[in-house]
Amino acid sequence: MGSDEAYNFVFKVVLIGESGVGKSNLLSRFTKNEFSHDSRTTIGVEFSTRTVQLNGFIIKAQIWDTAGLERYRAITSAYYRGAVGALLVYDITKHLTYESVERWLKELYVHADPHIVVMLVGNKSDLDSDRSVPVEEAKDFAAKKGLLFLETSALQSTNVEAAFSIILSEIHKKVSSKEVVRGSISAVSLNSSGAENTEKKPCCRNI
Amino acid sequence: MAKPEQGNGLEIRGGTEKLTDREKGQANGTTTIPGEEDQQQVDKYGFTGGAQQYSGDSAEVIPTEVLRQREAKWLEMLNSWDKWMAKKHKKVKERCQKGIPPSLRGRAWLYLTGGKVKREQNRGKFEELDKQPGDPNWVDIIERDLHRQFPFHEMFAARGGHGQQDLFRVLKAYTLHRPEEGYCQAQAPIAAVLLMHMPAEDAFWVLVQICEKYLPGYYSTGLEAIQLDGQILHALLRRVSPVAHRHLKKHKLEPVLYMTEWFMCAFSRTLPWASVLRVWDMFLCEGVKILFRVGLVLLKCMLGTQEKLKSCQGLYETMELLKAIQPQYTHEAFLVREIIELPVSEKDIEKEHQAQLRRWKETHGDLCSKSPPRMHGAKAIIAAEPPSRQELWQRPTIIVESPLDKPTGSRHAKKENGHTAVLPPVEVVNPYAPSSNPSPLLKHMIVEGSKESLTSSEHDTYL
Repeated sequence: MGSDEAYNFVFKVVLIGESGVGKSNLLSRFTKNEFSHDSRTTIGVEFSTRTVQLNGFIIKAQIWDTAGLERYRAITSAYYRGAVGALLVYDITKHLTYESVERWLKELYVHADPHIVVMLVGNKSDLDSDRSVPVEEAKDFAAKKGLLFLETSALQSTNVEAAFSIILSEIHKKVSSKEVVRGSISAVSLNSSGAENTEKKPCCRNI
Repeated sequence: MAKPEQGNGLEIRGGTEKLTDREKGQANGTTTIPGEEDQQQVDKYGFTGGAQQYSGDSAEVIPTEVLRQREAKWLEMLNSWDKWMAKKHKKVKERCQKGIPPSLRGRAWLYLTGGKVKREQNRGKFEELDKQPGDPNWVDIIERDLHRQFPFHEMFAARGGHGQQDLFRVLKAYTLHRPEEGYCQAQAPIAAVLLMHMPAEDAFWVLVQICEKYLPGYYSTGLEAIQLDGQILHALLRRVSPVAHRHLKKHKLEPVLYMTEWFMCAFSRTLPWASVLRVWDMFLCEGVKILFRVGLVLLKCMLGTQEKLKSCQGLYETMELLKAIQPQYTHEAFLVREIIELPVSEKDIEKEHQAQLRRWKETHGDLCSKSPPRMHGAKAIIAAEPPSRQELWQRPTIIVESPLDKPTGSRHAKKENGHTAVLPPVEVVNPYAPSSNPSPLLKHMIVEGSKESLTSSEHDTYL
């Protein structure tokens, strides 16, 4: 995580979802290739970065993780600031965590940038025998809401790389396309060597 | 120890196998597998590993002789707690600052917080709450957290083990005691720290006191209290370290992004364990100002000079720096000295609290949850609700009876150096009170030093 790394973009992605669905392990699996059955409950904010190469660009993914418990939502506006992507995680073995997805989406659109790229993630796919959320149902829901969708297993590493690659790719597409009104999505470009020149955009404001 | 009964809603998953997961992996990644663990070294606090909490060399070593003297002094204080708190509170505070002897820490915390009194005034209450199954929603959430508190501590490592069971009992009892509050995740580490020093019932009452007297509103819906304290912390920083203050302001690093875990867990997840215990000794004696001082010291140390700020160009880099406090600043001796010397008082905090509350009302309107005003430590608590002598009597659960000790008719205390110990009625034998006729066997238990502690000057300058 040296500051002398060269990168073209920094994308802030937040992990959201109910307590215990596996957000922290998705973070540690993606950024450190680690997993623990007993990782501590997240209180406050945790974060980590990983630099990836996508379509010839070097992207520094800044992944943020916070407590999923209901009452922590009161302090999350600072958490969402500047986020260009969100992984909305539920546990495929706990239907309740899937039912909360609507509420999380609502919360997201209140606090975050309207152009934020969202992926619905059904985690713990390794526990397929305890499944209580059918894949097709979740897939349809995601499609209806305009969300990306994947099932992952932080424990087995399944689809974790894919989830992050896809969302970062989509973010990059959005940032580069002229569709995005200047100032409404925040992606900080720090190094324009070899890449298109993207100006620094001001921080997004809470709507 | 706790027996998992059907009624109390405790589900034990996976038996009682010991899982010591390692978080450091190799290049190609790790997944921890149950059963695959070595017998690791356990440090004196019970930790088998974990980066932040392994004190190693940073903990102070107190000579045994000094420790024994301190224990005697503490036993004496606990024996006439109300008198000490009323007349010699300054001395109590000093002794907390020096560090409570480990053997008496749990009991001292119980007395300092008023947990002891609460327990006595509510006999049978915890047992009653313990028997109930609890609200299934809270039970579910609590169960998810049991194996995620101090997993590197031997007490909490085993799934479904005694430590996790007791943690469940304490947290569940709280949700029944205060159903409008329910459960907040940060209560789990607080309860876990308490359980490392005292049994479940005591831990429950101390938790109640912490949540209601020391840190009211911290764990309530809306988390307004913690946000306000974050603003207060930031405001106080201006005087303590203008450089740090300016930097945080410039990068719009909001307090909730760095102080939430610090304050809600009372630094139990941030500092090396020896330092956690010293901070808690002072916090439970003097109140929340200690938490503010720790936060201010850490911010000053990490961000207080231009030199130090060179390595953090932005918000994210600053957050990273604050997540990895350099060991020299969390070292027990250094940190305690800095805390004691930092000129931030209760008055400063209350004044800033009023100012921030006014600002809050301007931007957010009235507070959603109105918490009672907080009590700044042990003295305030005992003054607000003066206990009866009975409520302060120690109730040892292990009573050693010497075959040579004949039960005497009258149990009046001997007046020595103006110090009187009132002995309880025959119901419970108090082994710590000086008896009128100590048997030869018991004589060695009465330590010389304790007779002088009320009047002599404090010889123990060990810090």
